[in-house]
Amino acid sequence: MRDGLFIAFGILTILGGLGVVVARHAIFSAFSMVIAFFGLSALYVLWGSNFIAMLQILIYTGAIVVLFVFVVMLLDLKKESSLDTGSGLAVMLSGATVWFFSLLILRAMNRGSYFASEKVLVSQDMRVISHLLFTKYLWPFEILSLFLLALIIGVCVLARPDSKEGPHK
Amino acid sequence: MDWLDLTIIFVRTAVIYVAFIQVVPIMIWVERKGAALIQDRPGPNRVGPFGLLQPVADALKFLFKEDPIPKEVNKFLYAIAPFLILLPASLVVCAIPIGDYAVFFGRDVLLQVADLDVGLLFVLSIGSLGVYGILFGGWASSNKFSLLGAMRSSAQVISYEIPLALAAANAVMFYGTFNLRQMVFAQEGTLFGFLPNWGIWYQPLGFLIFFIALFAETNRLPFDLPESEAELVGGYHTEYGSMKFAVFFMAEYINLATASGLMTTLYFGGWHLPWITDARLLELLGSRNLLALLQVATFTVKLSFFMIVFVWVRWTIPRFRFDQLMRVGWKNLLPLGLLNIIVTAIVLYLVEGR
Amino acid sequence: MIPIPSTLAQWSHYIAACLFALGLFGFLIRKNGIVVLMCIELMLNALNLFLVEVSMRSSHPEGIIFVIFIITVAAAEAAVGLGIILNLYRLKGSVHVDLFKSLKG
Repeated sequence: MRDGLFIAFGILTILGGLGVVVARHAIFSAFSMVIAFFGLSALYVLWGSNFIAMLQILIYTGAIVVLFVFVVMLLDLKKESSLDTGSGLAVMLSGATVWFFSLLILRAMNRGSYFASEKVLVSQDMRVISHLLFTKYLWPFEILSLFLLALIIGVCVLARPDSKEGPHK
Repeated sequence: MDWLDLTIIFVRTAVIYVAFIQVVPIMIWVERKGAALIQDRPGPNRVGPFGLLQPVADALKFLFKEDPIPKEVNKFLYAIAPFLILLPASLVVCAIPIGDYAVFFGRDVLLQVADLDVGLLFVLSIGSLGVYGILFGGWASSNKFSLLGAMRSSAQVISYEIPLALAAANAVMFYGTFNLRQMVFAQEGTLFGFLPNWGIWYQPLGFLIFFIALFAETNRLPFDLPESEAELVGGYHTEYGSMKFAVFFMAEYINLATASGLMTTLYFGGWHLPWITDARLLELLGSRNLLALLQVATFTVKLSFFMIVFVWVRWTIPRFRFDQLMRVGWKNLLPLGLLNIIVTAIVLYLVEGR
Repeated sequence: MIPIPSTLAQWSHYIAACLFALGLFGFLIRKNGIVVLMCIELMLNALNLFLVEVSMRSSHPEGIIFVIFIITVAAAEAAVGLGIILNLYRLKGSVHVDLFKSLKG
C-alpha cells in the first residue's frame, strides 16, 4: 500500500516537474509546479514528516507559487509559439551535462552505510526539531532572520518604481 | 483493522461531509433573509413557507441554465477553476473536530474525519490553496475585470496569510500542540469559577487578528475585493455561468463553515458545553452516545453563531479600498500579531516557566 | 547502466535525482526568466526530498532543520528573483533572458 502510494505520488511529482520545463506558457509552468509540490508533500507524509509536508504546502504552494502566478499575470506574458530553447546543439549539450550530473548525484546518494538496511520509520517530533532549532542551531536561526531583514529591504528597494521619474506605467 | 472499522470510517466521513454540505442551502436562505432583515424588506417569500424552499429553486435554476463557454477562454483552466476552489474547501473539513467520540457496535468512533497531529497547519495550508481557483479562473476568463479580481486576490491572500499564521502560532504557543482535538480538550471546565475556560479569555488579541484575517481569507465583505460587484462586475467569476458559478458559491459557504468551525475550536471551546466538564455531563446523562449528540449540538450552535456573524458583517460594513486593505494587513495586523507573540511568550515563561 | 530500484529509499533517490535533473535541464534550456526561476525551485525541492528521506530514515533531525532553512532561503530567493525580473521587464519590455546582456563586454 505504502509502496504503491509512494511510486504513484513520485510519478505525479516528476510529471509536474516535466510540465514546468515543457509548458509553453509560464502560467502552465506554475500550474505544473503546484502539482509537483503537492506530490512532494505527499512523499514527505509517506516518509513520516508531516510537519515538513505542511510547511511545503503552506510556503511553497500557498505563497511562492502564488507570487510566481502574480508576476506572470502582471507582466502579461504571451504564449511561446514553439518552445523557445535556443539552438539544438545547446539543448543536446545541456541534456548530456544534466544526464552526467544526475547519474553522479544518484551514485552519491546511493552510497553510505545507512543505505544497507531499510530501517523502521522514525517519526520526528516537532518538539525535538524546535528544541534543536532554539538551542544547537540558534545562531544559524538568528543569522537567517537578519538575512530575511536584509532581503525585505532589498526587495523594497528593487520593486519600488523610481520616484524621480514620476509614477510608473 | 477489519471490515467493521473500514465501514465505520467510510460512514463517518460520508456523514460529516454531507452534514457540512448541508450548510450551503441553509446559508443561501439565511444570507438572503438576513440581508432582507437588515435592509428592512421581506426577502424571499414565494417558494415554500417563509421562502424556505428558495435554495431548492436556486439550485434547480442553476442546473437547468445553459453552461456558456466564452470564445477566448483557456478551456482547461476555465473548466477546472471552480473545482480548484471547492476541493481545498472540502478537504479542510476533515481536520475539524465536531465531538469527542461515540460508541457504535462496541467501538469508539471519533467524531472527526481525521485526527491529525498537524491539524492546525493542515487547515491553514490546505485553506491557502483555495486561491488557485480564483487565480486560474480569473486568468483563464480572458476578461480584464476577472484578471484584476484574480490579481487582487493573490495580493490579498499572501498579505493576510501572515497575520492568520501569526495568530495561529499564538494559539499553538498557548496550547502547546498543533492538534485541534488536544486544543479542545484544553478548554474544558471553568475559569475563576464563573467564566467558561475558553481560549478567547487567554488570547483576545489573537482572536481579533484571526477573525479579521479569516474574513480576508474567505473573501467575504468587507474584504471581497476579488469579486467586488460594484467595481469589477463580478471579479473572478464574471465569465462563469450555470453550475460552474454555483460551485464557486458552494465553495464560499463551505469555507465559511470551516472558518467558523476553526474559530470555535481555537477560541470558543469547540464541542464543550460552557461551565460543565464532560465527565460531569457523562454522569448526568449516563450514556456516551447521548453525550456525543449533545457535543455535536453544542458545536453546531457555536458554528451557526459565527455563520450568522459573517452574514451580519457582510450586510453592515462597506468594502475596503485596496490600499486600505493593504494598510490594515501590513501596518496594523502584522505588528499586532508580532506583539501578541512576544507578550504570550513572556507571560508563558513567567507563569508556566516553559 | 542504471539499476532498477528495489527499496523505497532507492525509489526516493530516483525521484529526487529525476526532479533535480529536470530542474537543471529547464534552467539551462529555457529562455523565459520566470520559468528559469521556477526551475531553480525545482532543484531545491529535489534536495529537500533527499534530506527528508535521509533524516527520517537515520532518525537524525538535522536534515529536517536543514530543510526548514532551505525553504526559507528558497522563499527569499523567489522574492528577490521576481523583483529583479520585474525591474528587467520595466527596462526591456520582455523577460527573455538573452536580452539581458548589457554587461557583456
